[in-house]
Amino acid sequence: MIAATPVAAQTQTTTATISANVGTLATLTLSSANVSFPDADPDAVPQVAALGGPLSITAKARATRLSQVLLTVQANGPLRSGLDTIAVSAITWTSTGAGFVAGTLSSTTDVLVGSWTGSGTRSGTQDLMFQNLWTYASGTYTATLTYTLSAP
Amino acid sequence: MTRAALLCLAVLVVRSSTASAQPLDLQLSVSPRTITFASANPDTSPTVTAAPISVTVRVKGPKTLQWHLSVLADGDLVAGPSTIPISNVTWAATQAPPFQNGTLSRTTAQTLAGGSGALNPGTTSTVTFSLVNSWLYDAGTYTQTLTFTLSSP
Amino acid sequence: MTKAVWSAAAAAATVLFVASPVLAQSVDTKTLNVSATVSARAKLTLSAASVSFADADPDLTPSIAATPLTVDVKTRTGNAGNVTLTVLADGDLMSGSDPIAISNLTWTTGAGLSAGTMSKTAAVTLGSWTGSGNHNNMSQTYALANSWTYAVGSYAAVVTYTLTAP
Repeated sequence: MIAATPVAAQTQTTTATISANVGTLATLTLSSANVSFPDADPDAVPQVAALGGPLSITAKARATRLSQVLLTVQANGPLRSGLDTIAVSAITWTSTGAGFVAGTLSSTTDVLVGSWTGSGTRSGTQDLMFQNLWTYASGTYTATLTYTLSAP
Repeated sequence: MTRAALLCLAVLVVRSSTASAQPLDLQLSVSPRTITFASANPDTSPTVTAAPISVTVRVKGPKTLQWHLSVLADGDLVAGPSTIPISNVTWAATQAPPFQNGTLSRTTAQTLAGGSGALNPGTTSTVTFSLVNSWLYDAGTYTQTLTFTLSSP
Repeated sequence: MTKAVWSAAAAAATVLFVASPVLAQSVDTKTLNVSATVSARAKLTLSAASVSFADADPDLTPSIAATPLTVDVKTRTGNAGNVTLTVLADGDLMSGSDPIAISNLTWTTGAGLSAGTMSKTAAVTLGSWTGSGNHNNMSQTYALANSWTYAVGSYAAVVTYTLTAP
């Protein structure tokens, strides 16, 4: 009677878990930190373009799936030159680039500059214009705009 | 032939078979058994590297023995409906050869190490996994299971 | 009987999972400094470059009116800036060596301007305003006193309008 021969094991397996934490993230880039509108004859130039041309904007966002990524802008108040003011609604813009929209500046509410769905890198331009009127008191007016990119 | 002679023949046959068998011992360990990529800014970290793991292989057997260590992912990295292709994960291994670098796959087991003959005492490789980082990924916590297989054909 | 030595049992199959972090919203802000330069400037527009007075019988037309002028004034100045529009003749109305005193030239106006009498020695205020603004379609009508004492001729003078926005 012949006894059976045992068969050697051929494989050895083990498992591991791989995980990746992908957090929300927002990075906003403006091509310039300063924009200026030069003096001009209101009859000849009723809308003054900013020196240096349109502002280039790059909005990078990592967001939860299908969420709304928003880019807004708000002024810190009217344009001021000493005690003289010009309402910031005198500044409007047109835009290029998918998702970017035209608008009128406000110092009381965030105004939409662009909106997109989900994660990605979006680039466009914002062409700011200043309404030129004879009724403005002479002076050098300034204001600060805050752009906010949010990735939920 | 007598019955006694037949029994002796049978015993002789059995003893001959036992004397020619070659023992085979495959030992595999992975530690730790978690590989974690932290969140990072793709602009500053185009690649995210996880803390390395140790993979130890020990093979006992005849000189003609061929052995192979592979790794296969159960699928892409998944976070609910969002996915990151598992092919975005690569690894770099020390102790090359027999270990080697590679890219994860969910369809074909990828070679992590291989050789012939015994590997005794065992060899430990430090394996470091890297994930391509991107602004296109949905935010979330992605997971997947990797199966390491040490085999001898 | 020699027993074969077989491989050890598989390692424990405990799987560890990393806890899922709460995904908070991420925000990035950038500021843009905006400046707009509004310089003082003045623009004067007259509807005509000349006015003329037709000949008339002094008994019937003691004062000869010209076609009214339309005056547009646009200025940008400081908030309390004093904007003035004046007129000054370069001399008497002259026909050769025969004069008609420029003070015989007067004007009336519509809203926004002031009536007056021309002078050749001192600018006469036609209009004044405070601060920036548009003042359009203002009317000014010149009149020449008619007299039997004038020598016959074609008389002319140049009147300079000066708009000042400080």
